[in-house]
Amino acid sequence: MTEPLLSVTDLKVHFPIRRGLLLDRTVDHVKAVDGVSFEIPEGQTLGLVGESGSGKSTTAYATLQLVRPTHGSVRFAGRELTTLRREELRRVRRDIQIVFQDPYASLNPRMTVGRIVGEPLQTHSVGSRRSRRAAVADLLELVGFDPSYTNRYPHEFSGGQRQRIGIARALALNPKLIVCDEPVSALDVSIQAQILNLLKDLQRDLGLTYLFIAHDLAVVRGMSDTIAVMHDGKIVEQGPADAVYTSPQSDYTRALLAAVPVPDPERMRARKAERLRLRPALSQA
Amino acid sequence: MSATQIAGRVAGVDAGAPIRQSSLWQDAWRRYLRNRGAVAAGILFLLIVVWCIVAPIVSPHDPNRIEFPDAYQGPSWSHPFGTDQFGRDLFTRAALGGRISIGIGFGATLAILLIGVAYGAISGFVGGKLDNALMRFLDALYGLPYLPFAILALAIIGTVNFWTMVVALSVASWFITARVVRGQIMTLKENDYVRAAYAVGVRWYMILGRHLLPNTLGVLVITIFLELPGVILGEAFLSFLGLGINPPDASWGSMAQDGRDAYRAHPHIIIIPSLAIATLVLCANFIADGLRDALDPRTKET
Amino acid sequence: MGRLLEVEDLRTHFFTRAGVVRAVDGVDFSVEKGKTLGIVGESGCGKSVTALSIMRLLPTPPARIVSGSIRFDGRELTTLSERELEDVRGREVAMVFQDPMTALNPTLTIGTQIIEVLRRHLGLDDRTARRRAAELLDEVGIPRARERLDDYPHHFSGGMRQRVVIAIAIACEPRLLIADEPTTALDVTVQAQVLDLLDDLRREHEMAMILITHNMGVVAESADDVAVMYAGQIVEQAPAHELFHRPEHPYTEALLAALPDLDDSDARSRRLTAIPGRPPDLIDPPQACRFAARCPYAGCGDSCALEPPALRELRPDHRVRTAHPASEREAVTA
Repeated sequence: MTEPLLSVTDLKVHFPIRRGLLLDRTVDHVKAVDGVSFEIPEGQTLGLVGESGSGKSTTAYATLQLVRPTHGSVRFAGRELTTLRREELRRVRRDIQIVFQDPYASLNPRMTVGRIVGEPLQTHSVGSRRSRRAAVADLLELVGFDPSYTNRYPHEFSGGQRQRIGIARALALNPKLIVCDEPVSALDVSIQAQILNLLKDLQRDLGLTYLFIAHDLAVVRGMSDTIAVMHDGKIVEQGPADAVYTSPQSDYTRALLAAVPVPDPERMRARKAERLRLRPALSQA
Repeated sequence: MSATQIAGRVAGVDAGAPIRQSSLWQDAWRRYLRNRGAVAAGILFLLIVVWCIVAPIVSPHDPNRIEFPDAYQGPSWSHPFGTDQFGRDLFTRAALGGRISIGIGFGATLAILLIGVAYGAISGFVGGKLDNALMRFLDALYGLPYLPFAILALAIIGTVNFWTMVVALSVASWFITARVVRGQIMTLKENDYVRAAYAVGVRWYMILGRHLLPNTLGVLVITIFLELPGVILGEAFLSFLGLGINPPDASWGSMAQDGRDAYRAHPHIIIIPSLAIATLVLCANFIADGLRDALDPRTKET
Repeated sequence: MGRLLEVEDLRTHFFTRAGVVRAVDGVDFSVEKGKTLGIVGESGCGKSVTALSIMRLLPTPPARIVSGSIRFDGRELTTLSERELEDVRGREVAMVFQDPMTALNPTLTIGTQIIEVLRRHLGLDDRTARRRAAELLDEVGIPRARERLDDYPHHFSGGMRQRVVIAIAIACEPRLLIADEPTTALDVTVQAQVLDLLDDLRREHEMAMILITHNMGVVAESADDVAVMYAGQIVEQAPAHELFHRPEHPYTEALLAALPDLDDSDARSRRLTAIPGRPPDLIDPPQACRFAARCPYAGCGDSCALEPPALRELRPDHRVRTAHPASEREAVTA
């Protein structure tokens, strides 16, 4: 059995709360991520679900070393990321990329589409300027985006179009793993479907591995092989997608499933009873 | 298999054409033009600058030639602004004075911008303890009175000329700019596109130079027109007190000082340069206001 | 069962520099006493503008209700003066907005904000108003209601804030509550609680409700009748059960097919049915059917491209605006 592509063990991210006038003392910690462990085999998708404040985004950033973990190990392609020196980490970054949630904040408004998608290539000095231009055109085509628009600016495009640009940027360096941080939460249903299909196609054709983060359980089901449910910085349940959805073990997972609105009027009434029963499992909001 | 090798094979729903076609600067320009006060101010400002540059070149009068018979003349055809106590044409001298006043104004503003941006950007970008230290230090500096410090600086430097004035006027005026830039950088840092750049492995100086600073341009342009009045008035004030530009060079401030004694009998000598200062300062304020409305991110389309 | 609200041929246009945006372009619907109408649609379809038009809360310029009638309990709202409208707003018709963070004034205690409404419309004195305010907070499920009257909005979580907003909305026992995406900004578990709350309140106070959302699941749960909006028009309206089990309009069908299914065990290997293209520009919408460009059933030479389909009653209570409703399609392909 080959080693999984990504292996996270007992990951903790604690933010100190400082008080004091001149000299800050640390009085307590915000435990954004409090002992999270999971694995993703190559070519598969782990769906990380949770509500706001559960720590799922922080987990993603800590995995990417965009936020330094306070504790724990992140093994990617056989290498321990938490102890890498800066230059080595830079090189590894070529293999892990990220797609963000907000299509309106994830692209620099002062850069053209071409420069945005080309930045990763330029940063790592891949090829010549001409070959990079061709690569950018290819990447845009790959995500269903007309390459003739490379000289336009992000504000000229819709949310869904901008997400495609973000995906193209993430693909530029041929990564092995892509962290998708709520990639469709800000999009309309019909556009959402387009982007989800695109992500699936790319995974199939390029052999990508995904860490897929979302709060929409229905979306996650269609994208994931295994699921991890996060609550208050910890993983409360983890397992193969089907198992978690059909026979959830934790009350929190059950409450979460019962709360998802489903377009079927009959089922909704039954779930309301279930929701009332599970109310104590949730922190009252 | 690389991403680029299979381009075109992944058939997906086409993303479609851009939904909007315009540049952000064009939108801002159009919004600016809608503000009639700002447009008028802009035109007037430009006219004053042009006058300062051109008038001395085309003028038939030598601004420095002393011609006592012509002294104290009121405005007339050959001397649109009249003459001063030495018979020198005020129209030409005021234009020359404008070169110096506006020159020092822009020079000092540029210096303010450079110092303020450097200080604020480093503080905002690095954050943490350094930011804390730099900001506390800045808090202490805030209390410094700007003009006395300018005078002090001039005294320390010893000589008074164009460049020393630029230095003196900027030495205690960059604090607000630094704070504003720091705030901007800290806000911009939280944007996902900055995180994306880190995730790609972009080096810190590129992040600062490509992702952060260019997005502060709007704020910087406004800051120019907000700082300009202060500096111009500062220079005028210093010159009026006799601490500024020395003769035969003149700035508006020193010209005003020249006219002080003869104020009762010949007010035009002091009024002309004062009016010039006031007009320029007023225009700068209107322009800054117009720019702020034009570049307001809230009205920008996303 | 009387009709509490009747909207007929409502057209709200925005007069902008770039052109006239026909945000709402011919909308008809009615809401019955004590029932919930769900209005579903994607962004830009005009559902929020419709709600704001009913309450006349749109800035007028650039918006204007160009034509149409809005009758509330027999009374025509479009011709009321601002003064008369102020009496209606909050008292007879109340609105709950999407973002609880900005719906409350951060500088006033929530007690003050509730009491303000009570005194404006019901003329209660201070002591009575305060008592009533505590009762309302209790009713919307805020623990220790009396003590919390003096708290500020930032002391509450998002879900709690939305409950406070709802408390303010029902303070004067309005007969119609308009909720515009009331749960979109909330977590899914909190969302469920707030929707349950709205349902309970509606039954208790015999209120009618218009629930506006882009989430089909939310409507399935809470609405008695559902209207689907697209490009400024209602394209289908039916009782909830009918709409989800026998959708007629191609857009409704496509929308339902594009939804990821929570209970689908094959979801991982399946592709979602995406709708190609984008909604039309509302400054110059197509003269004929507005969905035609994206519709899989619009053939060449069809009436779709020539004339706009009218909203017709296909079955009792089920109206559709299309030349190709699902039930008529079988006949064609047979």
